[in-house]
Amino acid sequence: MNLTPKPIHQNYPTKNSFGESLPTKNSSGYVLGRRGLERLDLLLLAIEALDLNGSQSMLWTSNKLGLTEYFPNHVEIWKCRCHNPMRKSSRRGPLNSDCSEALILLTSTMAERLYPSLRMLISSKEPLSIHEQRWNLFNRRIKELIEERMNKRRGAVQKLLYSEMSEPILRQLVFSLALSVGSGGVDRLRSSLLDSTV
Amino acid sequence: MIKKSFIYEQNSAQLKVDGLPDHSLGQSEEMIGILSGWELKLVGAPILEGNRLHLQSLIIVVLSYSRYCLSGVYKQFGNSDGPVQILPCKLGHEIILTSSQEGVEPLKIQIDDAQLTDLVRCLDDLLHDNRVKINWKLPFYKPLNTTDLTINTPFLERFTPAISGITAIFVFCLLYIYTPQEVNLNNKENQTLHYQLK
Repeated sequence: MNLTPKPIHQNYPTKNSFGESLPTKNSSGYVLGRRGLERLDLLLLAIEALDLNGSQSMLWTSNKLGLTEYFPNHVEIWKCRCHNPMRKSSRRGPLNSDCSEALILLTSTMAERLYPSLRMLISSKEPLSIHEQRWNLFNRRIKELIEERMNKRRGAVQKLLYSEMSEPILRQLVFSLALSVGSGGVDRLRSSLLDSTV
Repeated sequence: MIKKSFIYEQNSAQLKVDGLPDHSLGQSEEMIGILSGWELKLVGAPILEGNRLHLQSLIIVVLSYSRYCLSGVYKQFGNSDGPVQILPCKLGHEIILTSSQEGVEPLKIQIDDAQLTDLVRCLDDLLHDNRVKINWKLPFYKPLNTTDLTINTPFLERFTPAISGITAIFVFCLLYIYTPQEVNLNNKENQTLHYQLK
């Protein structure tokens, strides 16, 4: 496993039309751990909760990013996301590094598109009633998605759905998405997903 | 030689850098290789100015802090004797700027999550701008280790598994020592002992 860190401001040699780096075959060489896969899938789930047409726009964005090789259709995105062990139908084994890199790039780009909504959710300057209304809507949508796709017998899923801790976890998820935005967001998100497991 | 200025803007943050191209490195007129000044405007805070080293400290401290925030770890960055510090506070995050001039009180600016992400995006844009060719000497984004990840976990919660494990072992040892053992009467030695006792 090659975990050579990249400088904060490093540009990648291969770029797409948006000027963003593309995963290249055998370029990254890292493997996301169980926690990393869970977090990555939850971040994508949060994107779907924010964008009603999320799965469709994910495919559209991946095509725009030139990730067709990795995600030619919805099924391939779903197959990669199913490596999350919290899923009802999870796939065993690690997700290969190129697909992980493609998913990270997709997450960051999608978060950039949804940045205005993310910003409104984490801003404390918004009127309280509107802020609460937005959070309630987001909470309801993401919990519906979690109930639909995740294995509710798992403790981690129950914690997300029913415990008092669910709100801070979801808030952290939105804040993480907002910090994954931008030219340095991909590097930040990648290194965060490679954190050790507590 | 004409001074160049580049502006990086987000909702609540605006960063302006001024400088000149470094002709000794063959830079064109459209580039900045020597930074002569910078100006940061944050909504609800005074305008911040400084030299190249101040900006470098700000970039290092804010980006490192945001990297930790992405993993849900909130801890102070920057030394008390350095020009920039950032730490979590009730509103969100507090930036402390210490002037190099004597007798000037440190400036404290409180920002929320949304303002922090805006600032991070401005700094990212500057670092990834191909027109700005400055060697910032920035650190690397690295995955966090277990010690870093448990920094915000309360002491009791962090050591509960270890304490309960040690207690369980201790209790089982006591039970083993003080539980009277059954005498096996099939054993010859025990039979002799039994007759002698009779």
